[in-house]
Amino acid sequence: MAPVAGALDPAALMEVFGSRPEPDWLRTIRRRTWAGYDATPWPSASEEEWRRTRLDELPRDVPLVSDARAEVSVLDADATGAGVVFADLGDAVRDHPELVQRVLAADAAGPRTHAAFWELSRASWTAGTFLYVPAGVTISLVLRSRTATAGAGAFFPRTIVVAEANSTVTLLDEFSSVDGEPGWFGGTVDIRAGAGARVRYANLQRLGDATWNIGAQRVEVGPDAEVTILNAQVGSLVTKLGMDILMSGRGGTSRLLGILAAGDEQKIDINSLQDLSASNTTSDLLYLSALYDSAHAVFYGSTRVRSEAKQTSSFQECRNLLLSPKAGAEPIPVLEIETNDILRCGHGATAGAIDPVQMFYAQSRGLSHDQAERMIVRGFFERVVAQIGSEAIRAHVLAALEDRIGSAEVVAA
Amino acid sequence: MTDQLIIRDLEVSIGTKKILRGLSLSVGQGEVHALMGPNGSGKTSLAYTLMGHPDYHVDAGEVTWRGESILKMAPDKRARAGMFLAFQYPSAIPGVTVASFLRNIYNAVHHPRNPDEAGEGAIKYTGIPLAKFRRLLEEKMALLSMDPGFSTRYVNDGFSGGEKKRLEMLQMAIMNPTLAILDETDSGLDIDALRQVADGINATLTPEMGVLLITHYQRMLNYIRPDQVHVLLDGRIVMSGGEELSHQLEANGYDWVREQVGVPDGVGDEVAEPAPQPA
Repeated sequence: MAPVAGALDPAALMEVFGSRPEPDWLRTIRRRTWAGYDATPWPSASEEEWRRTRLDELPRDVPLVSDARAEVSVLDADATGAGVVFADLGDAVRDHPELVQRVLAADAAGPRTHAAFWELSRASWTAGTFLYVPAGVTISLVLRSRTATAGAGAFFPRTIVVAEANSTVTLLDEFSSVDGEPGWFGGTVDIRAGAGARVRYANLQRLGDATWNIGAQRVEVGPDAEVTILNAQVGSLVTKLGMDILMSGRGGTSRLLGILAAGDEQKIDINSLQDLSASNTTSDLLYLSALYDSAHAVFYGSTRVRSEAKQTSSFQECRNLLLSPKAGAEPIPVLEIETNDILRCGHGATAGAIDPVQMFYAQSRGLSHDQAERMIVRGFFERVVAQIGSEAIRAHVLAALEDRIGSAEVVAA
Repeated sequence: MTDQLIIRDLEVSIGTKKILRGLSLSVGQGEVHALMGPNGSGKTSLAYTLMGHPDYHVDAGEVTWRGESILKMAPDKRARAGMFLAFQYPSAIPGVTVASFLRNIYNAVHHPRNPDEAGEGAIKYTGIPLAKFRRLLEEKMALLSMDPGFSTRYVNDGFSGGEKKRLEMLQMAIMNPTLAILDETDSGLDIDALRQVADGINATLTPEMGVLLITHYQRMLNYIRPDQVHVLLDGRIVMSGGEELSHQLEANGYDWVREQVGVPDGVGDEVAEPAPQPA
């Protein structure tokens, strides 16, 4: 049995990692990044992006989860033959050490708002999803990775996707944990799309109702790459997610989609940065949330168009449907445009209840209040659901949504 | 006869504003009643009240449908009892296709889920089988001369005025009500669209259906012949007659009615009808 260590107790952590059959280069990385974590202050409420979510009640004394792993779908022979690697991160370290070492050596800083947690995940990951797609390789099957934890604990899994030039891949990355157990989930996602790569990444978060999700995502979009990122957040007690979308390759495109469904006392706070530093880039964000009971959502969305980035197009849109008078939403768009030479840069944000006339209309057709509400909520999400290219991913996302919004009767017709 | 709508001395207000001031009317099975009146006379308020809009408060009077009081029923229960309201300004439901919406409302009215059913049974509930529903939908859309592509669009989302009215008729055809309240179904339509919609209504009407046809103009009644015509003014029915009454109204205007019944000009006009919903 693996030793138990507090998630923030360095001596105990080193003992945990010392007991794992890991190569020295990885131990060196862990020590170095732990030092980096130690030197990085936790965010404070004086930072704009952290004003609305305090970490006072984060269960930081829970033990590190060291026995979980990512269950990944099996690659077909063609993909394996082409050099694709898709595995739990620990297994990838064991089976493809040179590749993983090279990828980890190229690690870059994560979102500024989550700098400490990014380093913590680099130092303390015990599981993760590693996906490497060599140049020019197309994987037409949807890849799926599932990471579940069974009890209370702190867990910092890393997802790393490296899609080399002109490769194509779709990944569904699912996270779950049990209800009722205090948890600290600090998963990080690091996506690197090379020139001309096409990456579709869907993150389905179904964490337990006592779990704090302090996640961070870094997405680098290379020249002419096309990247779609979906975050479907339906679980956790508190979610504070930071996202950096780095449009650093000329002609790159990103579509950032979000589906958030929360109830009870759930809190979802997301800060995003669409950083356009290369010309002819396009980045469109659309986040939709349905908030029940006393749930509260914050979306702090920054768009930065740098002076050297000409002829760019960007948009951020955040719509919040409030299904209870106690539910609340704060969409906060921030645009920083350092050049006049842009095609488009805009935002749209709303928060409101279902229009009573719309509700009466649906009820006058024989639908009960709850049926009408479910139908309207399901329709509200359709703008994002319709953009999920994969039928399989759509089905998983909708099934997860039903836990919160209820079954939308029969949808097919 | 119990298969009829009976409205007795109905008084309705919205907020502190009195809108209907003692309205009485009966619509029997198979009868078409036209309710005419100027803007602000309370026509839409009556339609909303009959369907159970929560903002319309019934201060006095009674409404029975098939011998049963409906005033305490929720709107969905009224629909399941056979009542249908074609809205003057139908709402959009973005993200919900016409076909999906129609299948759900068909199930709600004709194929309701057994409330005792729970757990496994509830999960397995699918209502009318998909293939059977598709045949029904194709049949009704053909009846209304509608393009099949219509069913994949989102409910009233970006629809023209004529398309919205035709979707109301399609919903009526799918729900097959026994009492249809058509609120200014002719408004905002050009003459070709009006003819199409009227043809649709005629194709959908059954001998069992009672119809309350609310309209501002006589022109709708060229296509759908009423058994009786009523004039609503200042929250009351002030005149009733046969089809010829609509022609007298067309020729003489509502001022003529005011002179006949002694209601001063402008009374009733102050009552605000709901504003059109933005598209």
